[in-house]
Amino acid sequence: MTIELALRLSEILLAFALFQQSLEQLAVRYAWADPLVFAVRLALCLPLIAGLEVTLVLAALWGIGLWQLWRYQGPYNGGSDKMTLLILTCLLLAHAAPTQFWSEMALSYLAVQLVLSYFVSGWIKVINPEWQKGEALRDVFRFSAYPVSEGLRALADRPLFLLAMGWAVILLELAFPLTLLDPLALKIALACTAAFHFSNACFFGLNRFFWIWICAYPSLIWFQDRIVGSI
Amino acid sequence: MLRLISLLLPALIPSWRFFKTVAPSPRVEYRLLHRGEAGDWQEDRPRPAHLSFFTMLRRMLWNPAWNEQLFMVSCAERLVEADSPHSSAHSEDEINRRIARLLPMADDTELQFRLVFWYRDGAQLVKEVEFESTPVPVNSLRVRSHDY
Repeated sequence: MTIELALRLSEILLAFALFQQSLEQLAVRYAWADPLVFAVRLALCLPLIAGLEVTLVLAALWGIGLWQLWRYQGPYNGGSDKMTLLILTCLLLAHAAPTQFWSEMALSYLAVQLVLSYFVSGWIKVINPEWQKGEALRDVFRFSAYPVSEGLRALADRPLFLLAMGWAVILLELAFPLTLLDPLALKIALACTAAFHFSNACFFGLNRFFWIWICAYPSLIWFQDRIVGSI
Repeated sequence: MLRLISLLLPALIPSWRFFKTVAPSPRVEYRLLHRGEAGDWQEDRPRPAHLSFFTMLRRMLWNPAWNEQLFMVSCAERLVEADSPHSSAHSEDEINRRIARLLPMADDTELQFRLVFWYRDGAQLVKEVEFESTPVPVNSLRVRSHDY
């Protein structure tokens, strides 16, 4: 995959994710500034999809991302907002970079962060005895604020199932960097992680995580091809 | 400016430590006080008993209410962590306004919320009240929302 194609695919996916986020934000209106800003963000998604004035559009979207951090005194939607800003920053730097080398560095940074998002997440779980025993995932269903219905809490009473699911996620996250060694393995791993985000969206209502994480996938496919594949 | 940088840096250099531990988990409860007389505490936006798979699929694309609820969870955690007086005041105000947003206008009525944290102690689930807000007139929250 060429860097141009990776950037274009990421921009189109990002435009869709931001469009979705903005529509949701517009539905929760209670302060005059919010709908105005999110309407602007919604409008900016159109030239981003069309590939018009991409650097300027990304800069404007980055500015709005910064405003959101200030407005909500941190992320509104936790890790998904952080990933949104990270992708915006890397895509903006890739476009504004003075040379091809720095463009590649910006996109590589995004790819490396994507790998870390899985590996670090797996690492901090595997060293935690509560995760090793399956108790942590039981607690998530038992009393955390995330399950989208009370009925889902009954899964806490299926410890073996949750133990297996917990270890499946931990092993997927820990093994993720190894899949960079083979293009097919990477694509299979990305399908698995997308399925993982999909299940999180169903069980815990984390729909924005699904859409924003897949925006970074083209950067990793390019990275594997360009950097790892050439070693 | 320093505050903005401190908010931006975790996005540019994320820690990615999702679910490092399953910490005590907050719920927002509120009550209305009419001319000083307090009503019962009730959970703000209780989750449904069941959700169909179709609804879960629909929520992949359209989930504004739940995402607002997750933001209120973040505000509750920030309020209890009390990083700074500004951050605490912001979180308290956000929770107040978002509860009031769904309430009808009511004269002589005040809104008070509390943060209840659930956690596991051995095999037992424990519920603990960690914060109670100062009552605020509902109408003032509704009016102030236009001044933001």
